Amino acid sequence: MAALVEMKNLKKTYKMGETYVKALDGIDLTIEKDEFVSIIGPSGSGKSTLMNMIGCLDALDEGTYHLEGIDVSELSGNKLAMIRSTKIGFIFQGFNLLSKLTALENVEMPLIYQNYSHKNRKKKAIEALEKVGLGDRLHHKPTELSGGQQQRVAIARALVADPPIILADEPTGNLDSKSGKEIMDMLVDLHKQGNTIILITHDTYIANTARRKIVLKDGKITEDVEVS
Amino acid sequence: MGFILALKMAIASIISNKGRTFLTMLGVIIGVAAVIAATGFAMGSTASITSSIEGLGANTLTVTLYNKGTNRDLSYDEFIEFTEENAEYIEAVSPTVTGNATIKYETESYDNSQIIGTNAAYEIVKDSHVQEGRYILDLDLEFRQKIAVIGTAVVNNLFDSKEEALGAYIKIDGTPFKVVGILDEKEGGQEGSSDDVILIPLTTAQRMFSSAKINNFTILVPDSDLVNETVVILETFLTDFYGTDDSYRVFNQAMVLDTLSEVTNSLALILGGIAVISLLVGGIGIMNIMLVSVTERTREIGIRKAIGAKRSSIMTQFIIEAVVVTGLGGLTGVLIGVLSIQLIISRFVPPIIDTTWVFVSFGFSLVIGLVFGIFPALKAANLNPIEALRSE
Ligand SMILES: Nc1ncnc2c1ncn2[C@@H]1O[C@H](COP(=O)(O)OP(=O)(O)O)[C@@H](O)[C@H]1O
Ligand SMILES: [Mg+2]
Repeated sequence: MAALVEMKNLKKTYKMGETYVKALDGIDLTIEKDEFVSIIGPSGSGKSTLMNMIGCLDALDEGTYHLEGIDVSELSGNKLAMIRSTKIGFIFQGFNLLSKLTALENVEMPLIYQNYSHKNRKKKAIEALEKVGLGDRLHHKPTELSGGQQQRVAIARALVADPPIILADEPTGNLDSKSGKEIMDMLVDLHKQGNTIILITHDTYIANTARRKIVLKDGKITEDVEVS
Repeated sequence: MGFILALKMAIASIISNKGRTFLTMLGVIIGVAAVIAATGFAMGSTASITSSIEGLGANTLTVTLYNKGTNRDLSYDEFIEFTEENAEYIEAVSPTVTGNATIKYETESYDNSQIIGTNAAYEIVKDSHVQEGRYILDLDLEFRQKIAVIGTAVVNNLFDSKEEALGAYIKIDGTPFKVVGILDEKEGGQEGSSDDVILIPLTTAQRMFSSAKINNFTILVPDSDLVNETVVILETFLTDFYGTDDSYRVFNQAMVLDTLSEVTNSLALILGGIAVISLLVGGIGIMNIMLVSVTERTREIGIRKAIGAKRSSIMTQFIIEAVVVTGLGGLTGVLIGVLSIQLIISRFVPPIIDTTWVFVSFGFSLVIGLVFGIFPALKAANLNPIEALRSE
């Protein structure tokens, strides 16, 4: 069976006015199902760009990227949207919840774009929120929740459609250390329950919670090691 | 994504921005309300003018002689003689002399009725028949009989019953007239309506109102196809006689109705134009606000795309939002338009609410939303999700 993520010599260059920034500069990366991988590196090293690549939010310039054996660069915009909704669950540093919607409505959103029926949608969303311990906050708006709770809503939203990959970009970056630890514990738990997790961070301690650590510097992988 | 859901989302976003949404809708509200009120007014006035013109009878012409700007004088007999010579065009002629007088029966007194002196032909020319008794006869004219045929409004005002009226003597300006007939009811026996008339023999009326000269003739044309020819024949004769066409007037109902419908049509065209312009202006307003809204919601759009929204889902969401805004505006406009017809315009003309215009203007407001929503929706759908997520 094909690897979950398989990148070969992947490059991405951004143009900033007159200068070109090599955000990713020849990435070779394979991630198998059920792994828990952390990607660590200094700010500006290309971590978010790599996550956007894995999450099919951005198009590569050079090289290849296969997701579950599918060549992503061949796909149309609608197909990519389909992949994002069924295969990827995003967790962002800034939560990125829709402030006008309740927790439940936020979590339902990925299912809406997959045309779930109203009943199934509600049921699955409630289950996901219960899983992150927010079964009693279904109808709260993001502003009525603490940062840790908001990030848990975002985790529920990432989980709700049962995607094979969960991508978390500095999920604890905006949280105090206590909430941050709660979120990390939750990700560890999710991994134990069989989810593949790719965690981006610049915090070595957090990176070491994962099973495998990839170090990124200037758009290149400089280290790829098992964490004991 | 389901339509209902998109609708719910649109409504939620509209509710969260009530004030701005209302201002955005204002153009459409005013446009639609103006169309409905203005068409209601135009149609109401047309209807009331049309019905009063049609009240003159279908195939009738009215000839009025002024005897102005000329020293020739056309006598009654000369005119009647001419109409008899042209019997194929002129089926009947009814001369009229009108006036007002005080009418009394026993202690009841009444002075609203129109008194019309005429001949037996009035019956067919005006298509106005008796329900009881008899009509004026030519014999009555010869002997200047003091008889009267009265309308139901007069009966209601002076008598307890038709039986009492028939054969009774009423006093018109003090002169007793015998009621010999009662006319068919045309307008519910209302005071001041066409049921409020008293017909007396022409010659009697001439003496009463001391008007020897008869200036008004109503002419019945046998067939409506002949109306235009008859007008020509009459005009030729009268112009020849007087040597000028200022001394008379031939009034043709069909002509007036034609002119009226032309006026109505151009009025409708002008109104339509104004409506289109105001709705277009409203549409540009909507587009403007939608563009602002897309910019403001760039991050929301980025999140939705990251989570799996297709371009088409984002398009649908924003177009539906625009259509809901203009649709709500249209609906409010319809409401205001209808209310203004019922409450204000109805004081001047009969209130007519034309459902065609209601649907057309409402439909047009939806189309405006659709058309002017497309550009902002495209802008939203084409946003690059990464740029969108990085915004703010
Ligand atoms: N959309 C973009 N346009 C221009 N430059 C970008 C864009 N995204 C990232 N970059 C640049 O690419 C480099 C890598 O960025 P990023 O992947 O966000 O780094 P990290 O997440 O590791 O901090 C940075 O120098 C950044 O300025
Ligand atoms: Mg980053």
